Amino acid sequence: MLRDRYPGYHVLDQRGHWDDATREVVLDRVHNVPHYELFDAGQQATLEALCARVIPQEWRPAAWRVPIGPWIDQLCRAHAPAGFRYEDMPPTRDAWTWGLEGLDQTAQALHGAPFARLEGAQQDAVLEAVRGGSPPGEVWERLPARRWWTQLALRQITGVYYAHPYAWDTIGFGGPAYPRGYFALNFGAREPWEADEAPADPGARR
Amino acid sequence: MRLHVHLSPDWVLDVEMREYPPSEPVDFCIVGTGAGGGVLAQRLARYGFSVVALEAGPWHDAETGMVSDEAGSAHVYWNDLRITGGTEPLELGANNSGRGVGGSTVHYAAFCPRFHPSDFRVRSLDGVAADWPLAYEDLEPYYEQMEREYPVSGPARWPWGKPHGYPYAPLQAGTAGQMLVAGCVKLGIRVVAGGPVAIPAGAVGGKRPHCIMRGFCLLGCKVGAKSSIHVSHIPDAIDHGAEIRTGCMAHEVVVDADGRARGVRYYRTLANGHIVEEEQRARAVVVAGYAIESPRLLLNSTSSRFPDGLANSSGLVGKYLMAQAGPVVWGRFPGLIRQYKAPPACASTEEFYETDPRNDFVRGYSLQTVAPLPIAMAHLITDEDGCFGEELVARMQDYNHYAAIGVLGEILPDARNYVSIHPTEKDQYGIPVPYVHFNLFENDWRMMRAGIQRARDVLTAAGATETHYVRRYAHLVGTCRMGFTPEDSVVDQWCRTWDVPNLFVCDGSVLPTQGSANPALTISALAARTAAWLRRAVPRGDLRQRPLAAAAGPA
Repeated sequence: MLRDRYPGYHVLDQRGHWDDATREVVLDRVHNVPHYELFDAGQQATLEALCARVIPQEWRPAAWRVPIGPWIDQLCRAHAPAGFRYEDMPPTRDAWTWGLEGLDQTAQALHGAPFARLEGAQQDAVLEAVRGGSPPGEVWERLPARRWWTQLALRQITGVYYAHPYAWDTIGFGGPAYPRGYFALNFGAREPWEADEAPADPGARR
Repeated sequence: MRLHVHLSPDWVLDVEMREYPPSEPVDFCIVGTGAGGGVLAQRLARYGFSVVALEAGPWHDAETGMVSDEAGSAHVYWNDLRITGGTEPLELGANNSGRGVGGSTVHYAAFCPRFHPSDFRVRSLDGVAADWPLAYEDLEPYYEQMEREYPVSGPARWPWGKPHGYPYAPLQAGTAGQMLVAGCVKLGIRVVAGGPVAIPAGAVGGKRPHCIMRGFCLLGCKVGAKSSIHVSHIPDAIDHGAEIRTGCMAHEVVVDADGRARGVRYYRTLANGHIVEEEQRARAVVVAGYAIESPRLLLNSTSSRFPDGLANSSGLVGKYLMAQAGPVVWGRFPGLIRQYKAPPACASTEEFYETDPRNDFVRGYSLQTVAPLPIAMAHLITDEDGCFGEELVARMQDYNHYAAIGVLGEILPDARNYVSIHPTEKDQYGIPVPYVHFNLFENDWRMMRAGIQRARDVLTAAGATETHYVRRYAHLVGTCRMGFTPEDSVVDQWCRTWDVPNLFVCDGSVLPTQGSANPALTISALAARTAAWLRRAVPRGDLRQRPLAAAAGPA
C-alpha cells in the first residue's frame, strides 16, 4: 500500500516565490481543467479506467487527486506532432482512439466485458497483455502494442500527472525555483521551506 | 525594427535592429541561429559583411517566454512533424532539436568539452569511420576563443584529449554530481567536477547574473547564466548590423542559371498570424539548421540542374546521420539526493573516451551527470520495463533518492543511417517532412553495453543499492559531412559545399565523426574558423571562384 512520503508538503504554498510566467502556467493547470470534447462516453470510461490503473490515486485525499483523462482528450484535439512520429505509429489522435478500442477488444477476449467494466485485477491483466506486446484484439495487428503502451499511453499519462503540483507533493520535488534558487546542495539537504521525508513504516516497501 | 527581449532579469536587449529588404542581396543569408549559425552571423557581421539570419522560431524572452516548468516549456523544442524509423528509431524534438533564436543551445545542458585530437583521425587510427580534413590543432585556437566567449566554466586542468584549463572557475555541483565523483574516486577513475559547462560560476559582464542552481537548464535558462547563443553571441551580431529575422521557415535555397545560390525562399509568419512567402537575396548562403533540417532544406531544393537536391552530387546529403549513445543509468541511494537541484551538467569523466585494445570495440564513451526532472524521471521508469500502477507510483516516490549518470558514447558514422525526404507527409507549411532512419551496429552495441555497465559500477561504488538503465540518444550530427574530395563529402574543410561555390553548411551536420563529447563547442569553433577564412578569402565578398591554394592556407 502506498503511503504519504512527504506529509503536509504542498509545493503550491511556495507560489508566492515563483516568477509570474511560471506561476500562471502552473496555476492554470490546477484551476482550468479542460472538458472532454473528443472522446465519447465509452472512450471516456475506458480512458478513465486506464488512467486509474496506471496512476492509482485512491490513497490520496480526494482534494489532491489529479484529473488526467481530459488532458489526453485536449492533447488529441491539438493535433500537435510534438516533434516526431514513429513510422509504425499513426498520429496521436488515431493512436489513442485505436488504443482505447484495443483495450476493449483485449478485455473482451480475456474477460468477456469492456475494459471499464472489469475488476481492477482483470484490468491489470489486460494491461499486462498489452505491456507484453502481443495482446489479443484486431486493433493490435495494426498498432504495435508495446510501443503504444510505453511511448504513448505511459508517456502521456505520466506526463500529465507529474506535471501537476499535487503530484510533486508526493515525491518531495521542490518545484519552480526562480528567482529564489537553491542553496542547500550537499548531502541531499533540504531548503528551509522544503519537507523532510517521513521515516519508513515498519514493513514498508523498503 | 525595435527589439525588446529579456535575456536575463536585468538585461533587456532593447535595441534598434537593422532590417534588410529581401529583394536586395546581402552578403550572407544564414538559415539558423544556433551554435553554428549564431556564431557565424556574429563573426561575419563584425567583419563588416551584411548578414540576415533566418530563424524559424521566435525569441524566447527570459521573463515571459521561459518558465520553470517541464510541461510548460515544449515551445523551446522543434515540434514540427518528422517521421522516425529504423531498428533504433530516434525520438526527435525535445532533447535534440531547438526552435527559436539560439537554436538547441536554448535547451542544451551546456556541457562543452572539446573533441580529442584522436577524433580528427579515426580512420587513420582505427581503420573505421573517417578522418577530418583538418586537425585538432587547426581548431584549437577557435576552441580557446569559444571557451572565453561563451564562456565555459571548468577545472584548472582538464586531463583528457589535449590537456588544458578553463578560464572560468568550476561550477558548484549538487549531490547528484557528487555521487558520480564519489563513485569514480572509489574505483580509481579520474573524474572532474564543475565543468566544462557553459554556465560560468560567476556573473558575466555585468549583464548575466550567476547561476542560481534552479536545475531547469534543459527548459531554457531564465537567469541568463547559461551561455546560450542568443545570450552569448546574437546581441553582438545585432550590434554589428546583422538582422535576426524570426518566424521565417526556409524551404528552398534558390540557384541562378550559373548554378550559384541566389537566395533563400521562406515562409514568414507575420504578427497577425498570416504566412507570406519571401525570398532573401544573398551573395552567399549558409545553411545552419542542424543535422535534420539542413539536409532537408538541401534535398528539398531541387531544380533541373540539381534534381537530387542541392550540393548532393556525391549522393551524401543526409547520409551518415549520427546520434550519440545517451543511455541514462540511475541508482537508488539510501539517503536523499534531491537531483533537481543544481545544473544537470557538472561532473564527468572521459577516461573511457579513446580506443582501448582491451575492449571488444573501438572508440569509447564518456560518463556525465544528468538530472531528470519529475516527468523525465517518470518516462525513464516507464521506458525501462513498462511498469504501471502502485509499482510505478512507488518508484516515483523514490525520486529524491535517485542519482543518474548519462553515458555519452561514440556511435560510428554509417551510410545506412540517414535523413531523407518523406514521400508523402507534409508539415504545416506544406513542406515535405524529413524521414530519419537510424540503426545500431555491432560496435555501437558493444560500446553502449560497456558504458552502461561502467555507469552501474560507478553508482554502486558510490553507494547505490540498485541500478537501472534506459537506452537513449543525444545530439544529431553528420548528415552533410566535410571531407577531402567532392566524392567523399558534401563540404570542404571550410564548410563550403563542393558543388555550389557560394553555398555553405555550418552546423553539426558537417561533422565526419562525433567523439564522445557534446558537439556545441565544436560546432561554434568550426563556425568561427569558417568565418575567419571567409574574411581572408573573400575580402570583397566574391565567392565566385574556389579559393586558390594560397588563400586556403593554414588558419
